[in-house]
Amino acid sequence: MTQAILFGVISVLGLITALGTVLARNLVHAALMLVAFFFLVACQFLLLEAEFLAAVQVLVYIGAVAILLMFGIMLTRNILGDDTTTVPKSTRRLSMLIALGVFAVLALGIATQQQGPPGRKPWKELTERPAVGPDDLDRKTPKAQIVNDMAKFVGRDLLTRYVIAFEVAGILLTAALVGAIVIAHQERDDDPATRVLESEAAAADDAAAADAESSRTLLTSSSTR
Amino acid sequence: MNASTGWAAPILLAQQPEIPALDFWLIVKWLLILAIVFFGIFPGIVAYMVWAERKIAARFQDRIGPNRVGPLGLLQPIADALKLITKENIVPATADKVVHIVAPVMILVSAFLVLAVIPFGSGMVAINPPSGALYLIAVSSMSPLGIFLAGWSSRNKYSLLGAMRAVAQLVSYEVPQVLSIVPVILWTGSLSMVAIFDRQVEYGWFIFSPPGLLGFALLTIANIAEVNRAPFDLPEAESEIIAGYHTEYSGMRFGLFFLAEYLSVFGVSCLGTALFLGGGTLPPPFTNALQEYVGTYTTGSFLLTNAIYVPVFMAKVGLYIFFMFWVRATLPRLRVDRLMNFAWKFMVPLSVINVFIAAVWYEFVFRPGQPRYLIGWTVTGAMVIVSVVVMISLYRASDVIEEAEIASRPLPGRGRRPIPTGSTAR
Repeated sequence: MTQAILFGVISVLGLITALGTVLARNLVHAALMLVAFFFLVACQFLLLEAEFLAAVQVLVYIGAVAILLMFGIMLTRNILGDDTTTVPKSTRRLSMLIALGVFAVLALGIATQQQGPPGRKPWKELTERPAVGPDDLDRKTPKAQIVNDMAKFVGRDLLTRYVIAFEVAGILLTAALVGAIVIAHQERDDDPATRVLESEAAAADDAAAADAESSRTLLTSSSTR
Repeated sequence: MNASTGWAAPILLAQQPEIPALDFWLIVKWLLILAIVFFGIFPGIVAYMVWAERKIAARFQDRIGPNRVGPLGLLQPIADALKLITKENIVPATADKVVHIVAPVMILVSAFLVLAVIPFGSGMVAINPPSGALYLIAVSSMSPLGIFLAGWSSRNKYSLLGAMRAVAQLVSYEVPQVLSIVPVILWTGSLSMVAIFDRQVEYGWFIFSPPGLLGFALLTIANIAEVNRAPFDLPEAESEIIAGYHTEYSGMRFGLFFLAEYLSVFGVSCLGTALFLGGGTLPPPFTNALQEYVGTYTTGSFLLTNAIYVPVFMAKVGLYIFFMFWVRATLPRLRVDRLMNFAWKFMVPLSVINVFIAAVWYEFVFRPGQPRYLIGWTVTGAMVIVSVVVMISLYRASDVIEEAEIASRPLPGRGRRPIPTGSTAR
């Protein structure tokens, strides 16, 4: 009963914050709403007795993704993030269509699932939480042990059953990282090669003085530590 | 009441070996404990930490420190708190009001939540979730967000600069902080803070091993950076950017930042103590002296073990905090590029290497069978020394190159103007 009430409250709040994310005009407010939404998803994980996943959700989405989002807003737009966002109507219709499509696919997939994973019933027929591991039956209270070993089971599954998805996600992230660095380093000033050229040009002005100075700095900077 | 809702109302049910029926008086009892401990004891600890820091810093600088209010200035923190509470709260006219008010609360909540999983003694822990260490990292990673929002919502250039610095620093040092905890989790085989404590009662403090020592050193450096204290206090560097992200806060809202900062100092000290210094256990020969009483929930054994564990734990935390005050009074502030280089070029690689060394130590000592301490110390000790020396020399070499490169860069005020493009033909 308590669980049902909690689930209702968390779900309603989650929907409100999700709507707020989409409708907020200020980007930072939208990001803040998104953080609240992530937090409520973590609460849902708790209700599902997956407290390891809840902690990971908070760590990854609030601790890392939200922060990077804020950084992105500040570095790419007006520094105070005051730009109000207006989406052109055509884009809005298209994105609405895509979102509805994704939702329909997910809903259909869950509702019409006839057959579960090997040895299990389909989701909608399950009222009990499925056993996570093979060796949980000889423990004292299997459910508690599953919850206790959730980190172990998640890790094992990530490196065995879902290893392809895991590796693909890793490659995707690496590509994103490399791409971000390439884009960020396009500015002329940050390019080490041009900087060396510049310093050579500067040295051409008064070569002797610059030589003496740079060798002196080298000496002092190596001797001070 | 099943296990799931039990976790959803964790403080009420924590540490009961058998979950009892949740009657009205039990709720009242736990709420009272919550109120007294979280609103009385922890703020009290913070108040006297501030007093201790002022006294200690004064000794380091050959001064006397606070000595006017009460004997030895002992009532000074109370006077300060009253002053902060009665001061006017000003929200700048252009500030983003809601975010401005929410931000300090967010940081404070993050600082308080960390303390929920710290085992102060045997059974003296608010909640014991199976992934406690991960929970701890997760909630402490929420504070950069609060700092960012505080700086952003103030509409002040210095606040924003401080917030940018803070977020960059906290995100960078979180990586070595987490990686230096990994050996402990590896050796324990569990993320639960209580399991980590029990393992240290059994095997001795984790700091007494070469990878443990290195991990503890890395954790301490990262901890000092995570709580924005000197020499890592760039986010609020008062001589450069006024007070950084909390420039525009006044009255008790500033007080909340203050409380959160010292509470996180206390929190990370508890973290270091619980993970590497054996929690509340006595030093080596007596580490497992009370082992037979641990985990038995009779009143006598509970009182006996905690009468020793809690004071010992607090003494270790006190020494750790004293070390942080000492560092603050001794070292000057880092330069901002050095700060980043130190985290990414030195601490992150070293802590990754340390995870491998910890695995070697696991093979020698924790693997079922006779623990082989001597060969373990020899092998991992050599590995630790070699990797630290190599990393330091690599870091210094890269630093020398970078310094030379910075020195040759055209700087204003050094007699060399930035050369516009195309002027090389001159």
